[in-house]
Order: sequence, then structure tokens, then C-alpha cells
Amino acid sequence: MNTERAHRFGRAAHLVGISGIPSAAANDVGVIVLNAGLVHRIGPFRLNVELTRRMNASGYPTLRFDLSTLGDSGASGESLSRVQQVRADVADAMTLLGAQSGCKRFVLIGLCSGAENAHRAATSESAVAGAVFLDGYAYRSTGFKLRYYLPRLINPARLVRSVARRLHKSDKSASQPSFGVVFPPREQVRDEMAGMLERGTKMYFIYSGGASNYFNGRQQFRENYGKLAAHPGVEVERLEETDHTYILAGDRALLLGKIEHWMRQHFPPQSLT
Amino acid sequence: MMVEAEAEIPFHFGTGAKLFGLYHPAAAPTKKSVLLCPPFGQDLIRTHRLYRQLAQTLAAAGIAVMRFDYSGSGDSAGSSIDVDWNQCIADTVAAADELRVRSHCETVAAFGARLGANVAMASATHARFADLMLWDPITNAAAHIARLDAMQNALQHDTNRFLKSRPATSVADQWLGFPVSPMLRQQLLDLRVVPPDGPTLLVDSRADESTVWNEHTAPSTKTIKLPRTPWDDPERLELAILSHELIQAIATHMQEAR
Repeated sequence: MNTERAHRFGRAAHLVGISGIPSAAANDVGVIVLNAGLVHRIGPFRLNVELTRRMNASGYPTLRFDLSTLGDSGASGESLSRVQQVRADVADAMTLLGAQSGCKRFVLIGLCSGAENAHRAATSESAVAGAVFLDGYAYRSTGFKLRYYLPRLINPARLVRSVARRLHKSDKSASQPSFGVVFPPREQVRDEMAGMLERGTKMYFIYSGGASNYFNGRQQFRENYGKLAAHPGVEVERLEETDHTYILAGDRALLLGKIEHWMRQHFPPQSLT
Repeated sequence: MMVEAEAEIPFHFGTGAKLFGLYHPAAAPTKKSVLLCPPFGQDLIRTHRLYRQLAQTLAAAGIAVMRFDYSGSGDSAGSSIDVDWNQCIADTVAAADELRVRSHCETVAAFGARLGANVAMASATHARFADLMLWDPITNAAAHIARLDAMQNALQHDTNRFLKSRPATSVADQWLGFPVSPMLRQQLLDLRVVPPDGPTLLVDSRADESTVWNEHTAPSTKTIKLPRTPWDDPERLELAILSHELIQAIATHMQEAR
């Protein structure tokens, strides 16, 4: 029998999502997975399906769902900013998963825009006990520029490849619509992260090789956020070999293993403690 | 006439409730219904929005619609590696039955894009489809597989995606983000397109004009040509496929269908 259930839910019954409740739920922490960009709730290459089922197998109740106007979810009809909508949608998702599983605390997981939305929701929701940010916020630092330019200056062949790649990308971007987002100021993000850590929120930052245009070394996290990098509630990882959306099955398996390990470390299944 | 339809209903159905479906009720009592058969792999993700828009357009025009995912795809149970052509056909038959129950319509038409069109054709008899609407069905399976293999192999050295080339083993046995079993590969290689006997709308937006489809069309097939769809452009691999012309063509066809 399928352990997943389909739901239409939310304050305007406008959201669509799939809950997964393990038959022997061994945790009071639920996992909620957010949309990556415009991809519907199954995630890029079905990443969110694999992730939620892996979490279910480890005893965590899960929900993958579409935020307002994404995937199969409609608009709520309210006059809200996008940030307010995201926060209200995540609150609706926590209410649903709480009612389905009895969870009172939640971990949010998001890739790219999903990481930004996880951050927005986590700043305002005390029920968010943890968050996994996949290619989340980071800012080009002096260290970033040194790590980027020095090897190219030393190795002219690498410089040529780099220029060629940039030209190719600018050709592409000229002919395609741009949906780029502007990150909020670093100081704002740092202060919000500090507030979350003070509240006890655990945070796991995983940067792929696909994010190398703005994050190119683990030490950059310290360059960006100073002493927060050493906080025991923060873990930072860089999976240099992977691409931004984890197109290879082996890379997805690597990512899921990392997340599962982090979850077990910070939110151990109760039956095993 | 276009009327605002009720919100679609997500649910699971079939044996063990393992299949995921979304039912779009018609805006008014209806005698027409359409089952939307999804394509495979990354095509499913790229066309998700279009399938939803098509379903909403048809529902607003008074036609009941159901979308669903095959076993091992989308939100249905099973792993991507377990996708099985024969199971997809069985799932489609189950979905058509489910649509009949929900819509109270005995007459069910089917729409499918690419391999979804092939599934619609292959299941037409058992699912008792009254009408087929086929968008760029795969007419040469070997060529389709060769294209997928070539795009997958190119990933290995795609330095726009990866910082460094990846070992051959890391890209093996997958098609553009999805693991593929030897069984599915063989099933698709064995695919033979049999021209449908019944009423058929063929929507052709392929770049390759040398398609053999014309040799297969029956007198009951109506063909519409649309601008090229960039199905196999590696640089658009993660961009949605949208087509208002396609939606319009299907809606018009369904409204004209008896």
C-alpha cells in the first residue's frame, strides 16, 4: 500500500502536495521540501521525490508541495507580497503535515529559489527547527576573486577556456529571457541567520559546483558570515563535482546521503535514541 | 463557451493506490472526457505546465480531464529505474477506467506528447479510447534512443554544467537525469508504430521533415503542423515547453469532436 497521500490544502485550498507518513513514524520532526525554481513539486529530475522517500525510509514524515502559482497550486486570491505568500504557504504546509503526522517541528529543504524561500520562512517561523539550503545565499568575497582569478593568471589555457565559456553564456543569455534573482544584502542575511541560530535552528548549507560562479570554496562561508561559520548549529559543504540541479543519479545519491546523515545527526529518529 | 472550472482534485488510484492522478472536473455536465498521457523522463517535467494549462482549458470548455503519472514517474509510486513500458500501458488503461468513473463519461479521448503519444496509441484498444490526439509521437525509436544516448554522453564533458569532465561511469545508464534500465531500453527499441484505425489528430512540430509518419497515417487521421518544438535542444534541457497553438488546436479538435 502506498504510504503517500495527495492533498489539496491551505488557507484558500489552493495548494497541492504529497505527504509521506512512514508506517512507524519515529520522529516528531517533519521534513518539508520546497519547489526548485519553476519545476513542480517532484523536483529537478525527480530529486524531491527521491529525497522525501529517503526521509520516509528513515522515519521522517514528509511533505513536498507546490507554492502558490507554481506546479499544480493556484493563487490564494489574497493581496500579499511574494515573501508573505511564501511564508503563509509554508505555514499552511506545516499545519497539514502536523495534522497528518503529529509533528510540531519542521526541517525545510530547498534548492536555489527553494533555498531562498526556506530562508524567508525560517526567519519568521519558530516551528522551523532546521533548514537545508542547496545553493543558497552567498556573496562573492575577496577570497572568491583570488580563488577564481589566480589559477587563471597562472594557467593561460584555463583563462582561454574561461573566456570561451563566458562568451558562450553571454550568447545564450542574449537570446533567452532572464529570471535571475538579486540576493538581499549580506548584512541582512547574516543578521537573520544569527537570529535563527539564537533560536536553536540547525542549518546545513550545501553548495554544488554549479554555484561556482558565486561560491567557490568552503572558506567563503566564513568570509561572508564571519563567526557564524563556526557556530555548532551551522554545517557547510561544497560538492564541487556536481552541477546545480544534480542531473546525474550518482550525484543525487551522494546529496541524499549527506542530507540523511545530517538529519540523523541533528534530529535522530526517536526509536534509535 | 468558457466557464470557470472547479479546482482540480489530486488523488491516488489503481492497485494499492500507487498511481497519482489529478482530475479536472468539467465546468458543466459533460459527455466528453480526455485522458492526458504524459511523456517520459525530462519531457514530463518540461511539459508539466503545458499539460496543466491544457487540462484547465478543456475543463473550462466543458470537457472532463484527468492527468496522471505512470509507475516510477512523477508522484506515482516506484523508482525511476523501474519504469516499464508494459506497466505504463496497464497504468493508462487503469487511468482511463478511473476517468470514466469520476466523469460519468463512457467516451474517453487520449492526448499524449512524444512517448506519451506512443503510450496512448499502444493502449488505445484496451483503454477504449474514442479519439487519439498525438503530439510528435516517436516514429523511429532507434533514432530517438540514439539522440538520447548522444545527449547523455555529451553531458560527460559539458563544462557549462560541470566544472570538470565526469567519468564515463557517472553518466552511464541514464537519459538526461533519469536512470534507464536495460529492459526499458529494449522495450523502446522494440517499439513499432502502428497507425491508429480510429479518429486521430496528429500534431506535428518536429524539425525532422523526413519523418515516416506520413506512410502510417490512416484516412481517419487529421494532421496539423505547428512551429518547431525544441524537444532535443541540450541548451533548453531544463526549460519548460509551452505552446498556446497546441492548446488551441486540441481544444478546437475536442469541441468539434462528436
